[in-house]
Amino acid sequence: MLLTLIRRELLDNLMTFRFAAAVFITLLLVVANTVVLLKDYEQRLTAYNTATQESYQRLREEKTYSYYIGKLVAHRPPNPLSIFNLGLDKQVGNKINVYHGFVPTIWDAEKHRSDNPFLNLFTSIDIALVFQGILSLLALIFAYDALAGERERGTLRLVLTHPIRRGYILFAKYISAMLCLLVPLLISLLLSIVLLTTSTTIFLSTNDFLRLGGIVLTSLLYVSLFYLIGMWISAMTRRTSTALMLCMFVWGFLVLVYPNLILTAVEITPQPDTQASAYNQIKQMWEEFDRENKQLLRNDPVLGPLSRDGEGWGFYVEGGEYTFGMSEDKPSILLYFFQTGFYAGKIGAESEPQVPRLQNYYRFYNRETVNTVQRTWLVREPALEAIYIHPANLGRTLLKFSPAGLYDAATEAWAGTNLEDIQDFFNAVQRYRRAVLDYFDDEKIFESRQWFAADHGTADWDALPQFSFQRSGVDVNAKRALPDLFLLLMTNLILFTVIFLIFVRSEV
Amino acid sequence: MWHIAKRELYDNLNSLRFALATVLLLALMLTNTVLYLREHPKRIQAYHNAASGAVKTLEGRSTSLYRLATEGPGDLHKAPSLLRFCAEGDEAFLPTHASGANFVRRIADRTPIWRMGYPQETPNLRNIRPDFATLDWAFIVGYVLSFIAILFTFDAISGELERGTLRLTLANAIPRHTVLMGKFLGVFISINIPFTIVVLMNLILISTSDAVQLNPEAWGRLGILYSVIILYICLFIALGLLISAAVRESGVSLVVLLLIWVSFVVFMPNTLASIGSRTLVPIAYEEFWTQRIRLADAARAAYRDKYGDSQITPSVHVLGEYVTTEAEEHERYNASYLKQQIEQGKRARAITRISPAAIVQRLFESFAGTGFERHLQFIENAQRYTREYREFVVDTDRADPESLHLIGIQEGMSQKPVNPEAIPKFKDTLSLSRDFDAVATDLLLLVLFLGVLVSGAYLAFVRLEI
Repeated sequence: MLLTLIRRELLDNLMTFRFAAAVFITLLLVVANTVVLLKDYEQRLTAYNTATQESYQRLREEKTYSYYIGKLVAHRPPNPLSIFNLGLDKQVGNKINVYHGFVPTIWDAEKHRSDNPFLNLFTSIDIALVFQGILSLLALIFAYDALAGERERGTLRLVLTHPIRRGYILFAKYISAMLCLLVPLLISLLLSIVLLTTSTTIFLSTNDFLRLGGIVLTSLLYVSLFYLIGMWISAMTRRTSTALMLCMFVWGFLVLVYPNLILTAVEITPQPDTQASAYNQIKQMWEEFDRENKQLLRNDPVLGPLSRDGEGWGFYVEGGEYTFGMSEDKPSILLYFFQTGFYAGKIGAESEPQVPRLQNYYRFYNRETVNTVQRTWLVREPALEAIYIHPANLGRTLLKFSPAGLYDAATEAWAGTNLEDIQDFFNAVQRYRRAVLDYFDDEKIFESRQWFAADHGTADWDALPQFSFQRSGVDVNAKRALPDLFLLLMTNLILFTVIFLIFVRSEV
Repeated sequence: MWHIAKRELYDNLNSLRFALATVLLLALMLTNTVLYLREHPKRIQAYHNAASGAVKTLEGRSTSLYRLATEGPGDLHKAPSLLRFCAEGDEAFLPTHASGANFVRRIADRTPIWRMGYPQETPNLRNIRPDFATLDWAFIVGYVLSFIAILFTFDAISGELERGTLRLTLANAIPRHTVLMGKFLGVFISINIPFTIVVLMNLILISTSDAVQLNPEAWGRLGILYSVIILYICLFIALGLLISAAVRESGVSLVVLLLIWVSFVVFMPNTLASIGSRTLVPIAYEEFWTQRIRLADAARAAYRDKYGDSQITPSVHVLGEYVTTEAEEHERYNASYLKQQIEQGKRARAITRISPAAIVQRLFESFAGTGFERHLQFIENAQRYTREYREFVVDTDRADPESLHLIGIQEGMSQKPVNPEAIPKFKDTLSLSRDFDAVATDLLLLVLFLGVLVSGAYLAFVRLEI
């Protein structure tokens, strides 16, 4: 019986114009956008490869350790699944300096500058966005007359004259519509995967296919949720035209208006102004360190004169070629530090006696720098959290009141392009910085002659720990997507129960 | 005709969609107002601080003409638009300033002359919030109002056809075009009533607030924007009537309209732009940078070949010529790269003109003074100012008979102090006529689209068999 019902509904749906149009338009949009995103991904990958190679070479051109600033760079590779949900993958910086003068964060990162800034004016449309807009609309179009239509035409009455449970009818309608909606979803995904495999730059691993499975599952739940919303409206209203109007406005509100409205609202909520105070604190710590350092230099009978009475950058020794003063001062991201040093190709015999003193000084200076960074990080980390992460997370949480937001969050988590995944990368960079510092400590590089002079052996960059970053595994992605998936599932179940109750009690 | 329009209007006024549309528009416009009134004073304050800081820095350099010639005018800031509530123009994705400064290596132990640079970073780099569209007029009209227009028109003809009332109407001695016009007017007025009310509310709240003063020019721009909105609404009503008459079934007509709407309004403007931008790709940034370094190295090598290392000081005349040409060449090279990028942006935008929604977005941005076209005007202003500033330095130097007139060489320039008041200051201005020129084609296209759709709707309706 149930099968007969499903077959009838399925045929009804499949033969309609709306089904053909739905399949056509979904395919068109998915294919067009896959092509665009694929090119974009390839471009970013090329930029990543060039930049990685370049910084590898640039680091090896340096002969002394102190000149590793700006040369030891960690690069974030583009995520191939960003084609399915771009998330923050493209927006956030992908090139970050590793240095003992600051703790690397998302905000310190720069972008590989291969793209035209004016192209950022156009939103990149990923496949999740296409599904989010189109499939939800289609689900509503399939659903609005599911019950109200039959009631209007009187066919519902006819069906109910047979000894069929009402739940069966509901279930048959749901299953057949979902089967119909699955067609454009799967075909278009298949096409886009075929397109991806034609590209030589993208390799999808088994894990990636598991992630894609997760995206399909999420899409299914999302579509089903919108279908149930439509059915609910259809069960509540007596006339199809009213049901249709309500469906369209609900769609417009949930997909188009609510996400933008709520994020604008988050934008205008006042935030605690911790930025200025935190920045001043950080600056004070550095200035204190600077004072101590200068005090020490001035009181030192040998080093003082070499550094222009404790005021200069680096030291003026015989054979010294360059001095540098490196500083960053960005109040908006609470970044403040300065470092000085010098480079000597070959230290002259006259200055030779001072070398141990210099080494000793640099041990103090570098260690103190690392300590100061550690102290400022205790202020900086919570402040950055309050200024950037909290509002962003608040926005993301509020977005989840709309199924569109839930869907976006879940697919982002599956694709591995959400904020947590990006933070994974920067945590890896922070660990890497720690590893480099440990290496410097163990090998006594901060106090070595090679820190500033290139005459007794040069810096051995190959012995330095290598940076490597692996995208988090599927289990982590799944764990991150699960809460949203669960929410989607629960709303589905609740809605189905509600519809069932309404339908069972309704008079035909 | 008026009778039909009136009937349509009454029908709509009592309908569910009218109520929902009004509530939706009201909520959106209120958010828009609150957002603008909160953010705009901050933006203005930040701009004034930055601009006055830049002027102070510039005046601080007036101690000698040499400093002015080598250090340059400093940062030039882009003035925020008064009408940002009409179109945000994705300003967060555009650079906020140009920088006329000295940021290259020293050459032949000389400080080189300043040059104009256009930074590529955008304020959006540090943003980790979810992406969203600001609720400006462009969004409310482009997306929401067009959506509402579709919902008002999809059953205008097919619905009556299904109910059979169209037959009844046409049984009277009314020509068909009058019926169509009546329907058109009815829908038009019923969409316009809530929209005009919320727009008025928006404008009244903004203009009565102390934080913002709308000047007559701004009102003129708002007037133009309002007529653009009218055109846009008409366009979607005509589209709705056309499909409604051509398809005959309201269910199908809605599906067709929605799919057209989704493709043209939501997806096309962005997807087409990305496809279009591939047809005109500037050289990669790395390539640009290598070439730039190669140019500088070649110039330096040529200079060294001629005059040896800095051991024997060549005559200041030669040096003066060298530093000047080096700066000019660098600036020209930068400008040519910027031009390539702009051309790519223009190409990408030109292709999106197939979609009326993209056209309207451009019109909004241009008349609100935000976005891409506005940024181009800023760049033009900066370039004009660059010339002015250079001329000022040369002219001031020329006025001093003791000077050797060698710009960029300390001993070759006028040693007299410069009057800080006399240094030209950067003013970022907007010209309405230029805005108008930039989008004249778009305006024309919009009218053409409307013409095609209206005549299409007319033909479809006249040939409709009932």
